Amino acid sequence: MSQGSKPLIQNTKCDCGHQNPTGTVLCEACGKPLTEEAEAQPILEMRYDGVARRSQKENPGIIDRVWNFFSSVKVAIYLILLTLVGSSLGTIFPQESTFLNIDPSVYYKEEYGQLGHIYYLLGLSHTYTSWWFVLLLVMIGASLVICSLDRVLPLYKALSRQRIPKHMSFLTRQKVVYQGQVQEDGADWVERIKPIIKKKGYRVRTDGGTLLAEKQRFSRWGPYVLHIGLIIFLLAVLGRNLPGLHMDEHMAFPQDEPVHIKNTSYYLLNDGFKVEFYTEDDMPEEFKGKNKVLPKEFQTQAILYMCEANCDDLDKEPQLVELTRHNIEVNHPLNYKGLKAYQFDYDLTPILRTVSPMLIDSKSGKEYGKITLSINDPQREYQAGEYTLTLTQSFTDFGLGDNGKPVNLSPNPNAPAFLFLIKGPDLPKEGVQYFYFPKQIDKERFNQEAINAQLAGGEALVKLDVLSMDDVDFSESTTYLNIRVDKAMPFIWVGCFIGMIGLIMGFYFTHRRIWLRIDNGTLTLGAHTNKNWFGLRKEISAILKQMNIEVDEKSLENNRGTKHESN
Amino acid sequence: MGKSKKSVQIVILLAIILIGVYAVATVVFGSDEVPKVGQKAADFELQGMDGNVHTMSEYEGKARVINFWGTYCPPCVREMPALQAQWEKWSSQGVEIIGINVGENKMTVENFVAQTGVKFPILMDPKRNAVASFGVGPMPTTFFVTASGKIDHIRIGELDLNTLDKQIEQLVNAK
Repeated sequence: MSQGSKPLIQNTKCDCGHQNPTGTVLCEACGKPLTEEAEAQPILEMRYDGVARRSQKENPGIIDRVWNFFSSVKVAIYLILLTLVGSSLGTIFPQESTFLNIDPSVYYKEEYGQLGHIYYLLGLSHTYTSWWFVLLLVMIGASLVICSLDRVLPLYKALSRQRIPKHMSFLTRQKVVYQGQVQEDGADWVERIKPIIKKKGYRVRTDGGTLLAEKQRFSRWGPYVLHIGLIIFLLAVLGRNLPGLHMDEHMAFPQDEPVHIKNTSYYLLNDGFKVEFYTEDDMPEEFKGKNKVLPKEFQTQAILYMCEANCDDLDKEPQLVELTRHNIEVNHPLNYKGLKAYQFDYDLTPILRTVSPMLIDSKSGKEYGKITLSINDPQREYQAGEYTLTLTQSFTDFGLGDNGKPVNLSPNPNAPAFLFLIKGPDLPKEGVQYFYFPKQIDKERFNQEAINAQLAGGEALVKLDVLSMDDVDFSESTTYLNIRVDKAMPFIWVGCFIGMIGLIMGFYFTHRRIWLRIDNGTLTLGAHTNKNWFGLRKEISAILKQMNIEVDEKSLENNRGTKHESN
Repeated sequence: MGKSKKSVQIVILLAIILIGVYAVATVVFGSDEVPKVGQKAADFELQGMDGNVHTMSEYEGKARVINFWGTYCPPCVREMPALQAQWEKWSSQGVEIIGINVGENKMTVENFVAQTGVKFPILMDPKRNAVASFGVGPMPTTFFVTASGKIDHIRIGELDLNTLDKQIEQLVNAK
């Protein structure tokens, strides 16, 4: 955070002779307070050990100004607050992405009224993919990187270059202070206390009558490790938009037909679909007797294939190699190398694929021969015994147009119909036309027999008929799966893991330092920690006790602060 | 130490700007979103009625009118003669009219083409790949694509001879 309003034009050279960078609060070498503000503090502000942040300069240029903007924690907090507000706005109405197939320009108005329409117009119906939201995330990321760099490097330097002798005012203005008399020579006393402090887990360095003891310095890096984790997390979230890293599609899989999964070389086959319904007895009271059909369990027997050859060739069938099989149920998706297929929905309407009707003499019932008719991709000519059947028209969804002529109502095989020209023995030379509806329901609906009688000018001499169910091939059901790929997930976990390590470093360990100096028989001790002052005081009191100095823990607390008046 | 510090700052700021621009750009012009007017038209790779595979790049340098249709869509059927007439008029002037049939089998399309006397190239999109990449909703939908491959205009609904003529003229002039 910026240091008050006063411009800090000051002499940065300390009395000890060390030249400090602009913005230094406590001399890098001896710890003497340099600024008026620091000088006025009864207890020193030890944040970042009083070193200057990297960005603090006397004449910042444009790059420095940008850098300074992001290096400010105040700015970072505003950015986080803005993001918080922004993301909560996105939760007022459901986001566009939660719907499968809507036109948002009308949906929000219809569903949520004028307010919903305004919500849509403001672009809040896709908050999390709006430019401003992503920009905020990027700015938070920038702030994380720059704030960290701006502080961690000077802090690292300061902590690794600590000098042992410190200025008297630095010691006496620590939060934990002890002053007393010692009888012996300063250097000897220091040598005597050294092993005692070491036993408490400190690394101890001495310089004549001065000493510096320090432990768990690494906990100071905790926040920065956390930041690295957060940055990885953020990058992973932003990187999800890279092609191939993220997919979330709902697809239909008719039984026994491998379906290509877009933008991958995978094909998935629905090898069978099972559904079990609740019986009337199993149903809850409120559903009983209402003719409700409630599925109890449904399962897709899925086979995942990889395309090996002819993948993009429109003329040839792709060559598929089986990769894995899995029975997909709700909450038990197929998972293959990050590609997941979740059960989503199903449709039990059978879809006719091929029929193999027999050409029969209408009168005698004599069977002439069988033809195999593909509903979606019929051939031009068929041969049934001595008879030739030429397909003149085919329909997938037969209907009658405005002018009374037969038309196709849709490309879906709802009501397939075929018009043949049949030629052969006993038939007129130019042949007879014959309409064939493979589905029984359509035969009746469109009155196949009457049409054919009319076409033949009397009773049709031959007819096409399916003799057994073995001659019909159909897909019993269609399963709908939600295909998901999220390759950014491992990075998100890594980010979280690193962040967790940072949190543990910062929370469960404390950086403690003890400085002491002996000037003409006077011992001055100052100590600093970033938390758990109580523990530090206890530790020092125990150390001093072993040196035969009895100190009450509480009296170690520096009373030069606010408590002074109350005494 | 000043200089290296500065270059590190610049590198970091540049990296942030790059990532930022990329991140914002991908959400704004979403990667799987369909092209709009003024943007480059999508590619396709489809089998034609002539039995060959055709791609968008084949028609590079030509103004293109890409019409999505089906025999099951009455307005599509009604506008076919207008498209045929315009093809006859404009094809010598570097305008290609392409009909993309949506979801039907070869025989249905063949029969239809033979009946209506359509001569301009017809491609088939049985799996609706082009429908997805062009973002076609209701049919008929017609894309007017300039010689440089940009979408000049998207027409949803039936076309008549006159507006089609004007639209093609505008397309040719848009070069």
